[in-house]
Amino acid sequence: MKRFIVISCLLMLSISGSSQTNIDGFVLNQNKEPIIGANVYLKGTYSGGMTDDTGHFEFATQSKGKQTLVVSYVSFETKELVLDVSKMLSLEVKLKEDVNSLDAVVIAAGTFSSGDNSKVATLKPLDVVTTASALGDPIAAFQTMPGTSTVAEDGRLFVRGGEADETQIFIDGIRVFTPYLATANNTPTRGRYSPFLFEGMTFSTGGYSAEYGQALSGVLLLNTINEPEQEKTDVGIMSVGATVGNTQIWNKKSLSVNVSYLNLAPYNSIFYDRNEWIKPYEALSGETVYRHVFKNGLLKLYTAFDASRLEVVQEDINFSEGLRYGLQNDNFYFNGSYKGILTENWSIMTGLSYTYADTKVDYQLSDITDKENSLHAKVKFKRFFSNRFQFSLGAEYFTTNFEEDFLDENIPSYIVGFQKNIVASYAEFDLFFSKNLALKAGLRGEYSDLEKRASLSPRASLAYKVSKFGQVSFAYGDFLQAASNTYLKFNNKLSSAQTQHYIFNYQFNKNGRILRAELYAKNYDDLIKYDTELPYHGSYYSTEGYGFANGLDVFWRDNTTIKNTDYWLSYSYLDSKRDFKNYENEAQPNFVNTHNFSVVVKHWIEDWKSQIGLSYTYASGRTYTDPNKTGFLNQKTTPYGSLSMNWAYLLTQQKILYLSVNNVLGRQNINGYQYANTPNGPGVFESRPLLPAADSFFFVGFFWTISEKGTDNQLDNL
Amino acid sequence: MRNIITILIFSVSLTISSQTNYHEGMQQAFGLWGQQKNTEAVHMFERIANAEQTNWVPYYYAAQVEVTSSFGEKDVTVLDANLKKGQLYLDKAMTISKDNPELLVLQALLYTAWVAYDGATYGRKYSKKINKLYEKAEKIAPENPRAAYCHAEWNIGAAKFFGNDIQPFVKDLEKSLDLFATFELPSPFYPNWGEERAKVLLESYKS
Repeated sequence: MKRFIVISCLLMLSISGSSQTNIDGFVLNQNKEPIIGANVYLKGTYSGGMTDDTGHFEFATQSKGKQTLVVSYVSFETKELVLDVSKMLSLEVKLKEDVNSLDAVVIAAGTFSSGDNSKVATLKPLDVVTTASALGDPIAAFQTMPGTSTVAEDGRLFVRGGEADETQIFIDGIRVFTPYLATANNTPTRGRYSPFLFEGMTFSTGGYSAEYGQALSGVLLLNTINEPEQEKTDVGIMSVGATVGNTQIWNKKSLSVNVSYLNLAPYNSIFYDRNEWIKPYEALSGETVYRHVFKNGLLKLYTAFDASRLEVVQEDINFSEGLRYGLQNDNFYFNGSYKGILTENWSIMTGLSYTYADTKVDYQLSDITDKENSLHAKVKFKRFFSNRFQFSLGAEYFTTNFEEDFLDENIPSYIVGFQKNIVASYAEFDLFFSKNLALKAGLRGEYSDLEKRASLSPRASLAYKVSKFGQVSFAYGDFLQAASNTYLKFNNKLSSAQTQHYIFNYQFNKNGRILRAELYAKNYDDLIKYDTELPYHGSYYSTEGYGFANGLDVFWRDNTTIKNTDYWLSYSYLDSKRDFKNYENEAQPNFVNTHNFSVVVKHWIEDWKSQIGLSYTYASGRTYTDPNKTGFLNQKTTPYGSLSMNWAYLLTQQKILYLSVNNVLGRQNINGYQYANTPNGPGVFESRPLLPAADSFFFVGFFWTISEKGTDNQLDNL
Repeated sequence: MRNIITILIFSVSLTISSQTNYHEGMQQAFGLWGQQKNTEAVHMFERIANAEQTNWVPYYYAAQVEVTSSFGEKDVTVLDANLKKGQLYLDKAMTISKDNPELLVLQALLYTAWVAYDGATYGRKYSKKINKLYEKAEKIAPENPRAAYCHAEWNIGAAKFFGNDIQPFVKDLEKSLDLFATFELPSPFYPNWGEERAKVLLESYKS
């Protein structure tokens, strides 16, 4: 027994009494400056120390032989050294900056984003729905950002001198072919998709990644919610209709269903409208999102259907009794995507979307039926090498089948259409040279079977941090896009239009205040030209058009200076001319405003449990042609101005009353003029101004969220 | 036989010495924390955690130091750095111990630090997540006083913000005190905070 005790005592002694070895050295950054406060220790032991003001550390250890010395410090990459303890003397350890940290440079040229799917966060999802003029439409909210033009009678996004169809919309990286609701002529449209399905929205007004093609001017990327947080039922009763939604969550799966019905008949019977409605706008829409979380990935299936109907008689200078316009639109959209991790360093994203759109227009004596079937399939792989270098490559396929059936009693009927297939692939890398300098470069190749032509588009952007809060970036890119359905249906041989973007960006970001200024130049080539008043069956088409757009966009946002207040200012200067369509010469197109200015203010009043929002837009006049004077697009309208207000009042945490008025001051905005086809007696072409159906718009809604816990609300939906 | 006993004693003495090391190391780290030497304390906890590969407790405290010091921080870059560090330690603790109520509560507190910094911005982003975390923690461990107390405090804050009645949550707070009274620490250095603050809070709502 004694022997055991002796042995154990000896053992104890040998452990506690072993001799100590000293370890010391310096920890420096790449510029050989000391890093103060780094944690230095031997892996698997408690021995360690911290660096002092000179970057020096020293500590003693009882460990012997080969050991791992760990040096870690926030916003630097952790370093491990394997050495014999006896050799750990006067060490000099250099740490590399971690380019993933918050203050690292970001590639930001051209991009505006909401949500935190990107470091360039300038708009959050909630902002979209609390912007006074937006009425819950993400598209309208992004119209308060610089780089967009105010084309009030259209409602779509016009980016940097581009037409509306030059900006493409993607849901979870997959293309949306028909993103806008069908409307009558001269009536602004809205986006089809409700904002509360999305958790992040990124809007890029140029110079975007090689991942996105078939877009000349801009991309809007919408990402659906990955994981709903609560089971709930949402009910909304509005002055224009009603909406019901429900979310169910099972362990790894969830399902959200939403149904809305809109009918403008009651509204039109109360408020004055310049149109004469035979059948006021009526729409039924439904959407479902199914999500399934797998061990290494996430599957999302999104399906949306909507049907809209309307019939209206609109004023026309050439027809004293007005023009009758009837519309029936059915739209189906499916989007399935899978995102997952393949191995430690490889990840995959793949998806497919299918669109079916059926539009029947009944216009005076003509019946026009358009049927579109479009499909987009995509796969993308990403390889992670380190925080400093990532590489991605992908391939995609677009196909559109379009058919138009034109029937008229007086003019020859026709059936036209086309089948368009495009295959594309791209490769791109992100490289951080340091925390201050980053490069993104990629190459995109496309082949179009209609044109029998392959093309290569390089894209690159370089960002450099000039000060603690400021950075500059440059971006260059080649972009191309096939001719739109409007022309391809009449002529299948038209080649793609193309453009180059050159962008210089300065960004300053400090504690909730963001300043962005961006200078850009764009050249357009191979734009469509035709020889008739409108594109007709039998017109002569070519791609000899061209144009340019140069400008400056400025954005300022501040949510810290004034308590409970968030505001942003946007200013865009745009100089753009084109010779395309049926233009007689190079001229400023009628969708271009030289100056655009927007202010958006949101203020939360705690005592009233209310959020008040204001937004104001000013845009300089747009061009139109006065046939009584010489020249083409020779006149400009008076400037556009509109002040909108909204008020969200929380009755309880789950009941919200919402009120919104667009163009509160009732300013009469003239979008352009229509001239008579033939001059009157004294030889003058008579005209009428193109006015919106109503100057102002009112909206009242009551939203109620029913959830088990009673803590959720629809504030995000407004 | 003798050899076996020798080995036994040897291994027992080793565990004793390593447990003593752990005990001393933790004490030392708490000492540093008490002296407001936060960085040193975090470093010490990190080292202990690195040596004790299967023990979530040192990582818990490393994260807790970062989270606690973030409340009241006005500089967003400092706040972001602290909470990112805290999240890193918390993630490591969670890989060691899954569905641990103490870690769920700390995760909720980490989000709450963002809400405390800017309620208008981060309240909407995190409030649902915070609720979900507390609900989960209470479901797993109905006897855990910190889950009950922190959830009650969070609900009181939210009810005040929306102008709702706080009384049901004050009752929850009261119940958490009963849990504190009966809660037994499963292991040394197991999280054991909150009772004092819960009492102070309750007093302030009662008077």
